[in-house]
Amino acid sequence: MEFKDFSLGISQTKVFRFVEELSAGNIVATICKKCGQKYYPPRSDCCKCMESQMEWIPISVEGNLFTFTKIYIPPKHFAPIQPLMPFSNIQFDPCAIGILEVEDKLRIMGWIPKVELKKIKIGMRMKASPIRLQDGRITIILEPLNP
Amino acid sequence: MKKVAIIGVGHGKFGVRSDASLRELAFEAIKTCLDDAGLSLKEVDGMVTGIAGDEFSFSLQPSAQIHDYIGFQPKPNFRVEGACATGSVALRTGWMSIASGLADIMLVVGVEKMTEVPTPVATEIMGRGGDAMWEYPFGTTFPGYYAMIANAHMAEFGTTEEQMAMVAVKNHYYGSLNPFAHMQKEVTLDKALSSFMVAYPLKLFDCSLITDGAAAIILASEEKAKSICKKPVWIVGLGFATDTMRISEREKLTSIQATREAAKIAYKMAGVGPRDIDIATVHDCFTIAEIIAYEDLGFCEKGEGGKLIESKETYIGGSIPVNVDGGLKAKGHPLGATGISMAIEITKQLRGEAGPRQVKDPEIGLTHNVGGTGQVVAVHIFRRE
Repeated sequence: MEFKDFSLGISQTKVFRFVEELSAGNIVATICKKCGQKYYPPRSDCCKCMESQMEWIPISVEGNLFTFTKIYIPPKHFAPIQPLMPFSNIQFDPCAIGILEVEDKLRIMGWIPKVELKKIKIGMRMKASPIRLQDGRITIILEPLNP
Repeated sequence: MKKVAIIGVGHGKFGVRSDASLRELAFEAIKTCLDDAGLSLKEVDGMVTGIAGDEFSFSLQPSAQIHDYIGFQPKPNFRVEGACATGSVALRTGWMSIASGLADIMLVVGVEKMTEVPTPVATEIMGRGGDAMWEYPFGTTFPGYYAMIANAHMAEFGTTEEQMAMVAVKNHYYGSLNPFAHMQKEVTLDKALSSFMVAYPLKLFDCSLITDGAAAIILASEEKAKSICKKPVWIVGLGFATDTMRISEREKLTSIQATREAAKIAYKMAGVGPRDIDIATVHDCFTIAEIIAYEDLGFCEKGEGGKLIESKETYIGGSIPVNVDGGLKAKGHPLGATGISMAIEITKQLRGEAGPRQVKDPEIGLTHNVGGTGQVVAVHIFRRE
């Protein structure tokens, strides 16, 4: 598992363990041993006290939806491959994305694959989980809790 | 502190400029600017070039193409970058060169050539303008970020899709009167509301345009400005502020905090407040961004931005005319040129040279230029003699 399996473009970072943890089913953050500041996404250096002694910690994965959208005009990596059949009726239906607040100002971005756009509301209770895709890549999804 | 004035402006035609390269676009604006100032390049001490993305221009040092093309060597020129606020960063750097005493006359040029790459590639380059490591893996685009901001604003303040579309209607109306604008046609509220979805809730007409274009300004010290220029426009306030890379780490999504910080600094330096501003150009990369800018710059109370456009207070004749050049929305948004273009509009308005879009006798103007989703923001205040 490489960091690129999550990030697409970037493979070299001190926080590569984040992706290994995702692969093992865990969403993790880092915490500064000196001042206790938590970072998600994880950082290998603390910008509060400028120290670099960090530990990995699990974070809560349940919380309230902070915001969301559904992007209909995707960037290159996410654009649908044109169907070969010229008269195909296949319609591109993108996946919504959102940001989940799990702890005070600790927020997880993820895909929202299982909820109709009309039913996604800011403030709704959701849970974040890692998910492995068919092509071997790994990402994070957000699903509703007790609808 | 030394005083610095704008003594010349030159605006190139914005649009899909498949007829011209980066350096040729810059030449058009620089030539017009020199003519406006009545100067030759011999009298210019130095140059600053604003170009946001070298990925658009297939070049690691695009600014050198420009000084070479105008034959500026061996005088100093370098490039500055601040994403979509690059033009204002260039203006600020030009101001610093003169205020520090390093130069008396500076040329500041902003240029971007965005349409030579296909739209999905342009969308990707700008999407990676968010956090390429942590946000782009979720297929984020610039409309996507502002859509998340719009949803938050709608949920907290009841701002509507109609109110956002009204910003598009206003800016396209003024764009139709601006010969340099990319899109010179009006749109109706119905057309804006029924355009296709780009990123929910933002539709095609909520988004600014992918545009080629250049704009240039000549700045001068007080002594030079007074001896050369009949109608100098003084830069009296410069505010600049930054915020987190990821929108997920912001306190709230309903404000651009760096706008509030930069505005505070600029107002203080100029010794004025929001009520003193006669004309403003604000960063309407998306219609929601203009609504939030009204609030963050103090033109209305927090949460009242939607109502301000609904009551037409930001049209000419209203309490604060905003983006009467068409804004990024209709004039287009060539990243490096945008901040310079904003300052040119204010200069022309303060000189009384804005033609059919002239605001009645303005004395003080403001530009507001946001880089990315508010990672960097510049607010400048201008005053005529």
